[in-house]
Amino acid sequence: MSFLRSVASCLLTGRVQAQSQTGQARRHIKRWVAPTLRELAHRQQKKGPQGPEPRSGYVDWNYRSELFAFGKRLSENFELPVLQQAFTDPSYAHKEEERQRKFGIEEEDLKIAHNAHLAEKGGHLATAYVEAYLKQSLPKVPKEGLEALANYLLSTETLANVSRHLGSIELIYSSEYPPSDKILANSLKAVIGALSDSSGVERAFTFVRDFICTQLNQKDLLEIWTPVEPFKLLKEACQQRQWSEPEPRLQGDCGKNTVLAAYQVGIYSNRQMLGKGFGETVQTAKEMAAIDALQKLFDLHDNRRPFDFSLQVETKNVRLG
Amino acid sequence: MSNSHLFLKSGFPRAPLQNGLGRYVCQLQRITLKFCKNNGSSRGMRDFIENHLVDFAKENPGIVVYVKPRRHRTPVLVGEYLNGEREWLSCRNSTQDEISKWIDLLKTQNGSSSSLRLRKMWHTDVPSIQGPWTPFMLRSPDALSQKYPSSEASKPLDAPTTATEKLIELFKQQKLEDEADISKKHAK
Repeated sequence: MSFLRSVASCLLTGRVQAQSQTGQARRHIKRWVAPTLRELAHRQQKKGPQGPEPRSGYVDWNYRSELFAFGKRLSENFELPVLQQAFTDPSYAHKEEERQRKFGIEEEDLKIAHNAHLAEKGGHLATAYVEAYLKQSLPKVPKEGLEALANYLLSTETLANVSRHLGSIELIYSSEYPPSDKILANSLKAVIGALSDSSGVERAFTFVRDFICTQLNQKDLLEIWTPVEPFKLLKEACQQRQWSEPEPRLQGDCGKNTVLAAYQVGIYSNRQMLGKGFGETVQTAKEMAAIDALQKLFDLHDNRRPFDFSLQVETKNVRLG
Repeated sequence: MSNSHLFLKSGFPRAPLQNGLGRYVCQLQRITLKFCKNNGSSRGMRDFIENHLVDFAKENPGIVVYVKPRRHRTPVLVGEYLNGEREWLSCRNSTQDEISKWIDLLKTQNGSSSSLRLRKMWHTDVPSIQGPWTPFMLRSPDALSQKYPSSEASKPLDAPTTATEKLIELFKQQKLEDEADISKKHAK
């Protein structure tokens, strides 16, 4: 930077003096500046675009303090060695072992603890709790719907997003930087496992509720789970409730035989309207109406009561597989 | 908004990761205090480090504090946030009270606020509570029994009245006025 600054100041003073001295031209930017800059630019171009620098490479970095602060930030008490293990990815452990083997270190000292075991444990806990939580807060939704919602919450993308926002990018030991989504998700699972080791299963369940289940807030549930054959599903739901067969009725149409045709279909059962929908053909309108009816039946519609995130799921209701 | 803010990143006030639902997580993850040990411009920073820094670190165990002395440079506060953003603040000639206030600001915001232009002071995921408009919304009850094609409904709404229609209208009005006059005379 200071080099560039001196070049800039050279430029400035050069301009002023060039105006004052009209006759004799004096060179203020040295002959070596341009070729040096050119060479630097050339080397940078040859190297290509560089990835982000890990924060741990800076002078002001204390891994132990960072680990301690990670737990305190989430108002949890971790045992630091377990937490450090949770942040050690297998890829890093293997790489490090390989490196040490090259230096001729004996096989017994090579073992580096990594998070595969903790991640498996944490994954089980998270899956069990998310399923129990969904079952309790959406009692009317059928099994496949709950499964789709649980899959969304436990997907790599969601878990990686949560992990990223809890500040684990800098803490993870992995062979690549920045760590991939898979590594991030894995480390979050391992953190859950480490928490259950340090403070018990109850705390781990609260952690899952507070950081993973809350991702459902303000989400369009229909976007996460759309029934594939809604009318068939509606028929089954009506049969279960011992209502008459759902009957689609055309309520209105507009712009027939044009490109902007619109149809409105309502679905009736037991002389009650279950739902209505719109579409560019009667078939899509009927499907939309069935989806609308299902949303009302399963209590998934837009203006439903928001999720209760202070809900206490009893531990005996969580099925640990 | 001035011209210098045109290229500033813009956005809406949002809580990252549904923060506050479930539990609150302080978004400031580490703070670095850079100062000079003998320059006058760092005096406030030195006072702050001497009198308040240990208390601050004890009160906020979730924030990692780094102190970095460097010779003959301006005192600086750097906050790093969980969303990866970094806020740099010059504290040249600031007093320790001012520095405590700035640190309090860094602690309570959820990203670098000085590098974000707020488009609005609020945000909603669901802007309309009425839902989308459809051609079937707010229909008059007559429309249900309407038979198409109907000559009434196929007229343009803005057809001007013709001269003949105007004359007929005038004639009718005249007739009404005449009738009123006759009835007045009878009454007398």
